[in-house]
Amino acid sequence: MMKTNEMKKMLFVTQFEELWFDALESLMDLRKAGFNHVVFLHIIERDKVAMRRGKGYLKDEEVRLREMANVRFIDWAENLFEQGMEVGAYIVVGNVLPKIISTAKEEGVDLIVTGRHRRPKLEELYAGSETLELLRRTSTPVLIHKYMLPSGKINEKPFERPLLALDWSDASENAVKYLLGFAGVIKKVVAIHVASEKLFKSDSSMEIQAIRKDNRQKLDAVCDRFRDVGIDAESHLYVGATCEQIEKAAQEREATMIVGGTTGSKPLKEIFLGSTARKLAERSSFPTLLIPATAKSEES
Amino acid sequence: MAKKILTVDDDPDIIAFVKTVLEENGYAPIIARNGEAGLAMVRQEKPALVILDVLMPKQSGIRMYREMRYDEELKNIPVVVLSGIAKRTFLRSQEALTEFGDQPVPEPDAYIEKPVEPEELAEVIKKFVS
Repeated sequence: MMKTNEMKKMLFVTQFEELWFDALESLMDLRKAGFNHVVFLHIIERDKVAMRRGKGYLKDEEVRLREMANVRFIDWAENLFEQGMEVGAYIVVGNVLPKIISTAKEEGVDLIVTGRHRRPKLEELYAGSETLELLRRTSTPVLIHKYMLPSGKINEKPFERPLLALDWSDASENAVKYLLGFAGVIKKVVAIHVASEKLFKSDSSMEIQAIRKDNRQKLDAVCDRFRDVGIDAESHLYVGATCEQIEKAAQEREATMIVGGTTGSKPLKEIFLGSTARKLAERSSFPTLLIPATAKSEES
Repeated sequence: MAKKILTVDDDPDIIAFVKTVLEENGYAPIIARNGEAGLAMVRQEKPALVILDVLMPKQSGIRMYREMRYDEELKNIPVVVLSGIAKRTFLRSQEALTEFGDQPVPEPDAYIEKPVEPEELAEVIKKFVS
């Protein structure tokens, strides 16, 4: 009997407002890292078909929305099937966050891809506290994919040159381990650490130099690990407000995405999960890959 | 005894439609809602025919079909694909998987693109299940 190869699955969540097929196509390079199964998820938000006074449940509207989603998914699926990919689809009615979590669990996916909404209400659902809530409730890495501003185009290869923001926590160590599994997809990792200005208030220049040296050595050690698996790497040390400096670094180092680790359980204690992760998810113009500390990795 | 026919589809409307057609024509319908469950059921029940959708959760009809054709005990069970996915895509997908190193598989016994009329479906089933 034929044995099916182990598949790496990606859950691609779309409301057909924030992510289209070009966003999905930009991730096809991940096949080199073993991803060969895409599961589409479209959630018909409950309030679009909910009971209305005098009308009851809007069954016709649900059917219409389902069929519209189905037509789009069939078109996308045909394209992927013809490339030898495995494809699945869910079109469900419910609340966004619980449906993403339950579908990710049911399918056992290795990556959740979702978008950032521009409309205030949906933005709140996806890129605000809901994003953090998603990270807290899943051990699966989450990519918040974005159309790059000002061009409005999707980056064709978001994994080609990721900027990896490191704070030396267990969470960022897990982010390193996760990215090590992407040899063949990532051309170069830009590893950075943002040191707080507070650390540079010492009177002693020797002390400040020691801080700089310590961080540089840690960054170089991370770069060596990437080079060992055939991924080129460069490191940079920044000083200032974390989120602003990460964004600035991503721009000047021509990064294709921002990557960071998150703890998931104690958001306020971790630099990346608290305001930084939220700000990057909401405001950064770069796709943002957030990796929970409990995520599976190649080395673990 | 009525012959068992397995329908593998995740769409409740299609399941209800096919079930009605099968019952009206004297068959015993059995149901699975994705390829993974479908494969388990086909192994357990050994139906006379499988009506198979393509785009489904867990495991697609493309993979399920392939696994059936690789299995000595299942490879001769007729399969009618009933799907919104074009036949051309199904065949190209199988070709692509073969190019990646899998063994080639024959075309399905019949391929119907949704929607289908009850008479057409019944006619196709009759070709394979006397």
